[in-house]
Amino acid sequence: MLENVAAKFGACPIQYKLLLQTEKTVEERALEGKQGTTKLSLAVTCAFCFLISIFSALLVFFDMGVFTYALIGVTMSMFTVGMWTLPYFDLLLSPINYPIIAHTPVSSRTYFLVKLTQILKYAVLLLICLNIFPSICGAFIRGDDTTILCYFFPIFYLPIAFIAGFFTIGLMTTFAGYLTKLYSVKRLRKISKSAQFILPILLAASFYLIPNDVIADNYKSVLKWLYVLPNGWFAGAVSLATSTIDRSEFTRDLILTGVATFSTLLMVLIPLRSIAKTYSKYLSFLMESGSRQKHKLRIRQPLLARFFKSREVYAVFSLSAAYMRRDRQILNQLASGAVVNFIIIGMFFARKIYPIEFIEYHYAIGLSPGLTGLFVFLGVPTVMGFLSSVGYSEHWKASWMLSLAPLRKSHDLWRGVEAVTFIYIVFPCTLLFFIVATVFWGVTGIFFILPGLIVVLFFVITYPKSESGIPLSQEPVEIDRSAGCLAYGISMIAAGVLVGVQFLARFIHVWVYIGVYCVIVAGGVIGFVKLHKKESMKETSDA
Amino acid sequence: MIRVSHLTKEYGEKKAVDDISFETAKGEIVGYLGPNGAGKSTTLKMLVGLLQPTSGDISVAGYSAETELLELKQRVGYVPEEAQLYEHLTLVEHLQLIGRLYHLEEELIAHKIVQLAKLFDMEAQANQRISSFSQGMRQKCLIMAALLHNPDVLFLDEPFTNLDVTTVTFLKSLLQRLAELGKTILYCTHILEVAETLCPRIMIINGGKIIADAPVAELRQQTNQTALNEIFVQLTETTGLDEKTDEAVRIVTGTTNDA
Repeated sequence: MLENVAAKFGACPIQYKLLLQTEKTVEERALEGKQGTTKLSLAVTCAFCFLISIFSALLVFFDMGVFTYALIGVTMSMFTVGMWTLPYFDLLLSPINYPIIAHTPVSSRTYFLVKLTQILKYAVLLLICLNIFPSICGAFIRGDDTTILCYFFPIFYLPIAFIAGFFTIGLMTTFAGYLTKLYSVKRLRKISKSAQFILPILLAASFYLIPNDVIADNYKSVLKWLYVLPNGWFAGAVSLATSTIDRSEFTRDLILTGVATFSTLLMVLIPLRSIAKTYSKYLSFLMESGSRQKHKLRIRQPLLARFFKSREVYAVFSLSAAYMRRDRQILNQLASGAVVNFIIIGMFFARKIYPIEFIEYHYAIGLSPGLTGLFVFLGVPTVMGFLSSVGYSEHWKASWMLSLAPLRKSHDLWRGVEAVTFIYIVFPCTLLFFIVATVFWGVTGIFFILPGLIVVLFFVITYPKSESGIPLSQEPVEIDRSAGCLAYGISMIAAGVLVGVQFLARFIHVWVYIGVYCVIVAGGVIGFVKLHKKESMKETSDA
Repeated sequence: MIRVSHLTKEYGEKKAVDDISFETAKGEIVGYLGPNGAGKSTTLKMLVGLLQPTSGDISVAGYSAETELLELKQRVGYVPEEAQLYEHLTLVEHLQLIGRLYHLEEELIAHKIVQLAKLFDMEAQANQRISSFSQGMRQKCLIMAALLHNPDVLFLDEPFTNLDVTTVTFLKSLLQRLAELGKTILYCTHILEVAETLCPRIMIINGGKIIADAPVAELRQQTNQTALNEIFVQLTETTGLDEKTDEAVRIVTGTTNDA
């Protein structure tokens, strides 16, 4: 039966059937030795999908409409199918058996459909596990928008959820197809692995935030944003199928169904027409020895390079930025800081669950020692975490290159590190805090951020001055870290004093606080100008 | 081009380099030979400004290492003995780092990287991290980096280690061409065959002192030996080779003198 469908899409039915059977046999025989673990892994995956589906199905007991119920079910289904089939895209990206049949007259389209069928096989299994419960329980929905047709919910929901799942596969295939034109297989595998790690975190984060808004009775305004997403379109289709023409949301559901139908057709046509046609061409690159990059070595001109007057500062900026992303120890330091930051910011958002009242204190002109304090206490450790670890590296012996280079002062190298700290840590942190502040206090949120920003910037500029060596030049020995810990402790005390002064000033009188605020900000600005002038004068005299 | 006068490096009581003096002309390739621990690498490190000499003067390309170190550094290229690199960087990133440290323009860096990667057959690895490279590839990395800023003087410390024959042949030819263009090369090695074919002038250091400094032909005459390795053995006083070998065989096989 499948070969007839494949034939309709332009594949050779005999070759398709033969290849599919061969792939199945090869797969089974390859797994013979480790059948137990494979079966167990598949069983665990299915069990997990069942759990998710039970969670979705239980929402039927909440007082929600067909659209919301279908939306949650379809979202979970699409997301899980997308996540779990990610590793199977390796079948498409680097089929190990391709060299065996590459010389035979098998069309690109046929081979592509064979590979796609293999992926769909897993997808169907998961879709069944994910949607059986929600479709059955959906018959018992009792919300504002339910009609008599809701008793037929399973009949409508199940096919639509399957189509949504296929849409996800189509979307991912299209995406993977276009990515193969940009990246090597190795890089794509890395992207796939990262996506598997990042996407569940995003899902967890969204679930953490969604209930607050739904409970807060404004979920209808939140739902509007979901109309632009594919899960919203398919939920609209379910809602349309179970509603009557006189319902107020009928037009909305009709439009969403139209978009869902059109996009599904598009997602079927793009992989089958465009990608399948050039699939052999892509695979032929895999047959070449070496990488495709061999023919395409192009060096991009970095945009940031234009903003650096000094070449050596930019050199160290690039080096320490690369090490910030790739060195395990530096990453560990940053990750621990980031985790704390996100937890506290998360708590800040979910204030009804974890009240941190002092943060919420705000005054008529929009000043808040609470948020400033939060910024300082989160920003300084993050900055210190990076600055104290960037002096060390597992490749510390390579620092001969920096010693060999014609540098005016070895301390200039730390300016590159300062730039990294500012661009990759301080700026995103400030932006994050500014967004948080803006959510609560509007544009005046900038006043909440300014004192904290100045304190953090002072740390960025002054801490490296105490460093005698050059970046990434010291052997990472634990005992040396004690110096960093001491500096960290002192800086935290200093930050505490700065924030404490603000609290104390507020305790005396609001105008005293405003005065202190102005002194901190003005002092900071004057300090920066003086420091910058001093540096410029030093450079001139050195030159 | 290189002028060294009474150069000494002491590590506590030990003199790694002991009062050496020599001069090289523009466009000269000088082989700097010596047994292990003779002081070859220490000399090179002082010449490029990585080590501070205990005493003596160094002048490279007309610049004093004491007073004009930055100008000196700008004009030298150095391939160290050990391939210590920032392994988290890719080849492109590594060469960009070096180019920027030597104040080259971004366009020029990009252009040279593409060309050098092609010449050294490293295009496919250009965007891969150095940590995944073989020893030979790392050595190519070092050589490319040393050539990137078009230095007037090249200090090469065992540059052909781990390289394949094709690359060695190409590099020998390249170094000869660069010397013809006026670049001075101080080539430090204990692979005597390469030194013999590449370097018209040989300096031999032993125990921190230069014990020979002459063209290969002159050294042949002085020592009455034809092959450089024989000249080297004679000059570095590595005598009693046969006895040493016999002793080693006895130790390995467990036999005694009496037996």
